[in-house]
Amino acid sequence: MSEMQSASGDAPLFDQSFQTTGQIHVDCPRMTASRVDVYYGDKQAIYDVSLDIARNEVIAMIGPSGCGKSTFLRCLNRMNDTIAGCRVSGTIKLDQQDIYDKRLDVVPLRARVGMVFQKPNPFPKSIYDNVAYGPRIHGLARKGDELDEVVETSLRRAGLWVEVKDRLTSPGTGLSGGQQQRLCIARTIAVSPEVILMDEPCSALDPIATARVEELLVELQKNYTIAVVTHSMQQAARISQRTAYFHLGRLVEVGETTQIFTNPQHKLTEDYITGRFG
Amino acid sequence: MNERQQVVYATVQASLKRRYARERRFRTLGLSAIILGLSFVLLLFADIISKGYSAFVQTHITLPVYFDPQVIDPSGQRDPAKLARANYRKLVRAPLRALFPEVQSRREKRQLYRLLSTGAAYQVQAMVLADPGLIGQTRQLALLADDDVDMINKGHIDQASVEERFGTAYWGWLQQLKQQDRLHTRWNSGFFTSGDSREPELAGIGGAMTGSLYTLLVTLLLSCPIGIAAAIYLEEFAPRNRFTDLIEVNINNLAAVPSIVFGLLGLAIFINLFGLPRSAPLVGGLVLTLMTLPTVIIASRAALQAVPPSIREAALGIGASHMQTVFHHVLPLALPGMLTGTIIGMAQALGETAPLLMIGMVAFIVDVPNSPLDPSSALPVQVYLWADSPERAFVERTSAAIMVLLAFLISMNACAVALRRRFERRW
Repeated sequence: MSEMQSASGDAPLFDQSFQTTGQIHVDCPRMTASRVDVYYGDKQAIYDVSLDIARNEVIAMIGPSGCGKSTFLRCLNRMNDTIAGCRVSGTIKLDQQDIYDKRLDVVPLRARVGMVFQKPNPFPKSIYDNVAYGPRIHGLARKGDELDEVVETSLRRAGLWVEVKDRLTSPGTGLSGGQQQRLCIARTIAVSPEVILMDEPCSALDPIATARVEELLVELQKNYTIAVVTHSMQQAARISQRTAYFHLGRLVEVGETTQIFTNPQHKLTEDYITGRFG
Repeated sequence: MNERQQVVYATVQASLKRRYARERRFRTLGLSAIILGLSFVLLLFADIISKGYSAFVQTHITLPVYFDPQVIDPSGQRDPAKLARANYRKLVRAPLRALFPEVQSRREKRQLYRLLSTGAAYQVQAMVLADPGLIGQTRQLALLADDDVDMINKGHIDQASVEERFGTAYWGWLQQLKQQDRLHTRWNSGFFTSGDSREPELAGIGGAMTGSLYTLLVTLLLSCPIGIAAAIYLEEFAPRNRFTDLIEVNINNLAAVPSIVFGLLGLAIFINLFGLPRSAPLVGGLVLTLMTLPTVIIASRAALQAVPPSIREAALGIGASHMQTVFHHVLPLALPGMLTGTIIGMAQALGETAPLLMIGMVAFIVDVPNSPLDPSSALPVQVYLWADSPERAFVERTSAAIMVLLAFLISMNACAVALRRRFERRW
């Protein structure tokens, strides 16, 4: 807290009239969040966040720990539903459809908006079964050949095929950390989602594995819309087109990545970018 | 070092001795507690084994038995019904009389005949029924000795007590039999196959073991699916509210309810209300199911909780439904833990006596049960029954039955530990 105060003097950090700096809207958004508030029990984690995510862009969400960037990301495919006492208000739309609509089924939503987690979490099954699980449960590929093809394509896209093609039946948990994370990405893209959410996908990986995953993100961007939460500003700068800066549950500033890193408009963003805190 | 640092250093040095002494005291205390516990266990085992090992062999008297056609089948028709009804007692008594021609008085004769178990006649009967061709031949047969002979032969009763109880002649007969090398101990297979009996030498744990087996089978078939299903529902699907909290508290309480209360419940509901047969392993299994359910549910819930949330998130994140997440990913990982809990619950059920007393499984039952509906006893109840019997020979049988029970318990628990080791932390 003391850090925050030193960043902006003794005045309260955010007042009633707080507005996000920068362009929150884009021309043809894939996802639109407007006026989203999130509560964990009595504690409010996100305040009035509105943000568009464009088609085929990589948007990075950065900010100090506890700023709500992961919480916001998890709202986008309703993973927060699994947390007891979590409440979301406001609207989030995927292709103009409200995903918090009572009538909306969360299962197909999560097939359309996939998620990759901070810690690689392959199922304790074979590499093949890990990737094939999604297509199997959704009935995307029933026949053996068809499934083989989906698995191969997904592993190829995740840049893992060459490394694992000879040991598809060995357990996914036996791979190295970076390979596991790429396996998780392959598992996610095997169900052909429209949006992939990634919650600090490289924080548990070494620099070489991180570089591979980053390359992969750039590659995947051609086909998917990707939202990445990251702690590393360099990573955000390397992979994203747009960057959103979160602070204490507010979306402080959003804009073109180059602009955010070279010419931040808000004082808090500037302080964070220049390493004064966080 | 400046002054302050020197003071700190000296103080730390001074306190070290006291700190280490405290640690040593604690270690000694812990170690002695373990040694005490272990020595009691060892004492228990040593006592039981030293008392019980001799029950696994049984004394037999080898006698030349003449399969007398005049006694067995005077008509010579070899009709099995008639063969079964013949006076075999006469056949096994004849060689005894021949061995001890000096025995004349009725009283002494009766005592002489008591060297053999009543089972000896049945032994001969079974041989004849199996092979009528034996009739007319003479065979050296190892006939089952009476329990008193067995006890004396195993050295559990000394000469003075024998002469006081059975008279001096009795001791003399035994010595003579021994000299003629007619007293032998043989592996006591009857102990594992026959049911209970008033005659210790004929009594076995076969009936009780079968009864326990049927009881446990019923318990396993009911408590495993019900317990695991309840645990999955409560842990994964039930809403968290007052009502489910109440259920949870009650399950934990049930685990601590004295088992005899479950026995009373079983008596009132299964036997009196539903009219199920008394003394039946089916009812025993039902009662033990009630008793083990809390254990199984608690262990299964713990196993489900131990599955890392990342696995659930991974499944949910690619669009698996709640049900698919639980059954495809959480359950396979939790299953070893659940099985461990179930096995431990089963071991608990195997050793349980009190509830079985209430539903009549304490009755004296000679027949080995053929189905879960036949009247039966159970291993721990058999131990209880024998421990209550006055005959000296039941002491070793009690201990032997305990050994068998403990062997089952230890192997079940070893199974649980092995399962846990094998499947520990697969993710």
